[in-house]
Amino acid sequence: MSFSLAVLIPLFLVLFFNLPFYRISGKIAVFIASLFCIVQAFSFFLPVNATCPAVQNLVSYFMLDFQCDGISRLMLLTSAIVAFASILVLYAMEDSDRKQFNFVNLILLSLAGMNGLFFVRDIFSVYVFIEVIAATSYILIAINKDKNALEASFKYLVMSSVATVMMLSSIAILFLVAGGTDFVTVSNMYQQYGGNSLVTAAVVLFIVGLFIKGGVMPFHGWLPDSYLAAPAPVSVYLAGMVTKTTGIYTLIRLFYSVFGFNTAIQSILLIFASISIVLGAFAAINQNNFKRMLAYSSISQVGYIVLGFGAGTTFGVAAAIFHLFNHSVFKSLLFVNSAALEKQVNVSDMSEMGGLASKMPVTSTTSVIAFLSTAGIPPLSGFWSKLMIILALWTADLKVYAVIAILASILTMTYFLIMQKKVFFGRLKEGFENVKEAPLAITFVSILLCAITVVVGLLFPFVLNGLINSAVSF
Amino acid sequence: MSVENILLFKLYIIATPVLFLVGIYAIMTTRNIIATIIGIEIMTKGVTLLLASCGYFNGRPEMAQSFIIIMIVVEVVILTISAGLIFNIVKKHDSLDTRNIRNLKG
Repeated sequence: MSFSLAVLIPLFLVLFFNLPFYRISGKIAVFIASLFCIVQAFSFFLPVNATCPAVQNLVSYFMLDFQCDGISRLMLLTSAIVAFASILVLYAMEDSDRKQFNFVNLILLSLAGMNGLFFVRDIFSVYVFIEVIAATSYILIAINKDKNALEASFKYLVMSSVATVMMLSSIAILFLVAGGTDFVTVSNMYQQYGGNSLVTAAVVLFIVGLFIKGGVMPFHGWLPDSYLAAPAPVSVYLAGMVTKTTGIYTLIRLFYSVFGFNTAIQSILLIFASISIVLGAFAAINQNNFKRMLAYSSISQVGYIVLGFGAGTTFGVAAAIFHLFNHSVFKSLLFVNSAALEKQVNVSDMSEMGGLASKMPVTSTTSVIAFLSTAGIPPLSGFWSKLMIILALWTADLKVYAVIAILASILTMTYFLIMQKKVFFGRLKEGFENVKEAPLAITFVSILLCAITVVVGLLFPFVLNGLINSAVSF
Repeated sequence: MSVENILLFKLYIIATPVLFLVGIYAIMTTRNIIATIIGIEIMTKGVTLLLASCGYFNGRPEMAQSFIIIMIVVEVVILTISAGLIFNIVKKHDSLDTRNIRNLKG
């Protein structure tokens, strides 16, 4: 089927880049990879079954058993947008040709794993693709080999390996009971033996493993460190895509197509999500480092996504997927802005910055729009997805959690206002007189992501009909 | 399942959490980076055992075999990466002590 090309093309590109006897320069690799991202983004708008026979034969040779639904296609679009942003940021930030080349190879491998994860319908293959993504992200974090990055990467590796062991034990138990690992078999087994304590333990182990991968609050220890220590383009990619796919998308996929919802599991999801929202926001208020604040904000927003599909209805799943898309866009926009600050100002403490709005108008404006969208101000995209989450909770008769979600929006507003005041507004601090706007590649990415946020917000009725409803059929 | 098989199965089911706990204990108490990785490996061996026994007891050992082979491949990749990380950490700090890598705090 044609969508397995999304996995095969990046793999072949990596092979092609690394053929012996000649060397491709980093610039060409960046160009080809960003071209692939654009093609992948546009493939979202193609009809589902568009394919030609030659491609069909080629792909069937590889025996990949993939299926595509609306959620997979939406995630495909998101991953393309975020990977494109991070490759352009890389192009602007990194001067060394060799490093550009290495980075592009790793990001293509990671994209292959990610696209596989979107289409695959087998819990063991889910594990394999998650490991592909995780393995590439360990290297990506530590790619500059500085002290903090190595430490963060090692921490991530240890935490993520524990999560992997949990997921694998859960897969083993489900395999024992079901006699197979594809989604249909496991789903049938779960409907029959769902009440069994061993099966419930397996599901809970799976959830905890994915919570560690996604950085939900009590298991978040590795996340701020890796976002902080990773080089700027990598943190765009990590924050926008990696933790959201390996953790949260897989969680949504498992509950949407395999396990279904029951009240016990739902209450686990809802409680951890609320802890994550509230504590993440409070932790973000206390941070003085720009990237660390964004990391805690990311934890808080992930809580919203889990809360959304914890409502247990298809409307809740639609809200969660829509918020996942929006969050990927505006969080990578904020990390692009932090990359611009890192490149031009080279200070990471927010208290040392000030009044940069006059010097960096594009960065300042786009970050204002991104934070308004995160805080849920109409008519930006974040408002609609948060509204959908709250409506889903309210209609599922989980009013307490709906109130928590609304009140935590105020906290979101608080920490972003503190950030704006410290970094962009006010009088220009001394020593910043010669600061210039970020390079063209970075401003282009910020304007593009900002445009997506605004357009999705303004055209929400069309987006709801065309995109979300087709993704999750009500 | 016969009585012997059920006893055997219980043995495997008990062995897996034991190996998991040994691994977690090793990770939490050790001061040596390489020992941390060995702890992770012990946990992974526990899961391998569980997968193999699950395949044996539900009558599909061939499927379990292929899972285990794939798992070993993935594991080797992760081990190689962690070896690279440890190599660079030791070059920076000149020791294998994990207390060196506690600068970042959550």
